[in-house]
Amino acid sequence: MAPLICGRGHVCWIRKNYDLHHPPLRVAGTGKGIYPHGEMHEIRVGFGDILKKQLELAGENYELLSSRGVRAFNVMGAIGSGKTTVILKLAEELRRRGIRVGAVAGDVAGDDDFRRFREAGIPAVNINTGDDCHLDAHRVHHALEDLPLEDIDVLFIENVGNLVCPADFPLGTEMDIVVISVTEGDDMVRKHPKIFAQTDMVVINKVDLAEVVGVDPQRILADYRKVNPHGRAILTAAKSGHGIEELLSALGF
Amino acid sequence: MHEYSLAFSIFESLRARLAQPEMLPSRVTRHASRIKKIHLRQGELLVLSHEALKEAWRIITEGTELEGSELEIERVPVRVRCPGCGYEGDAKYLAEEGWHMRVPILSCPRCGARVEIVEGKDLAVVALTVEEEVGAS
Repeated sequence: MAPLICGRGHVCWIRKNYDLHHPPLRVAGTGKGIYPHGEMHEIRVGFGDILKKQLELAGENYELLSSRGVRAFNVMGAIGSGKTTVILKLAEELRRRGIRVGAVAGDVAGDDDFRRFREAGIPAVNINTGDDCHLDAHRVHHALEDLPLEDIDVLFIENVGNLVCPADFPLGTEMDIVVISVTEGDDMVRKHPKIFAQTDMVVINKVDLAEVVGVDPQRILADYRKVNPHGRAILTAAKSGHGIEELLSALGF
Repeated sequence: MHEYSLAFSIFESLRARLAQPEMLPSRVTRHASRIKKIHLRQGELLVLSHEALKEAWRIITEGTELEGSELEIERVPVRVRCPGCGYEGDAKYLAEEGWHMRVPILSCPRCGARVEIVEGKDLAVVALTVEEEVGAS
């Protein structure tokens, strides 16, 4: 979920009028039966807590991270788009500036990304979702318990490679970022409009390969602007470091 | 696929209320085993496969008092509020050829500023269809 921007321009997880979705339990008349034999009654009830728990847990993560002075970013994106490389390059530059970085690696299985973070000297926690297609706030909460938050200024949470489900699960981060690359084709936004409509920033990676694969990044940009007029879009070729400075400044560094 | 876990949340939520009759109108609890339909409202920003959710519901409720009940899911348009100009109402949607989906745009339809989501990320149970026993009042 895209975080809400509150009146002061801050990211805000508190849905002020959430109560609107939780009307007091009441019987509001007995509707006509839907079934032909007539003994059916439709009875109004109201419980909207199916997803409320996720919002609450995300809110708790946000509070915990804020209280420790940690700025956290939810990095979503397609498989193989370069999420880990983008994070590693950002971390390299941040650490050069004296900013301490931590990471959470989310994958269905394996610890490849986790090991890349550790090899780069970044304190990291690995989350294997075991077939779940997304991270959720509960899993992230446990990862936060295992991280030395007092030694971390910026936390990158790398979500499971997937452009569908992660959009529905807020983690309590300051910003949601989607990383895609030109090698996936120029129609990524058109194929997954909902995640792009809600995220704060898109990173279009591997632009140095655009010509080779015959993809025009401008077409991706144009689609993104249509579904998300307020989102930022940054072009990178993370491996060579291209665009990393611009991305950092877009993230507020 | 998280439809299964969502279906399970709906199931647990409903069961918890059936276990505490004061949380539901008595007309429901009197006929709990005759709940035929569970009416859900789903915000259009939520990525949800109705077919997968219904199939998960069928599997989860097998052998329970809710076996045989069905989910009825209604898509609810996204509602937004603009912190800038105070607009509150329906979000604007991208309606163009080639986008095979109604895509809500989180921009104020009146002034173009970024908006807050009022409704559109939710999944809520709003009503139950129960079959009353013959002769019951």
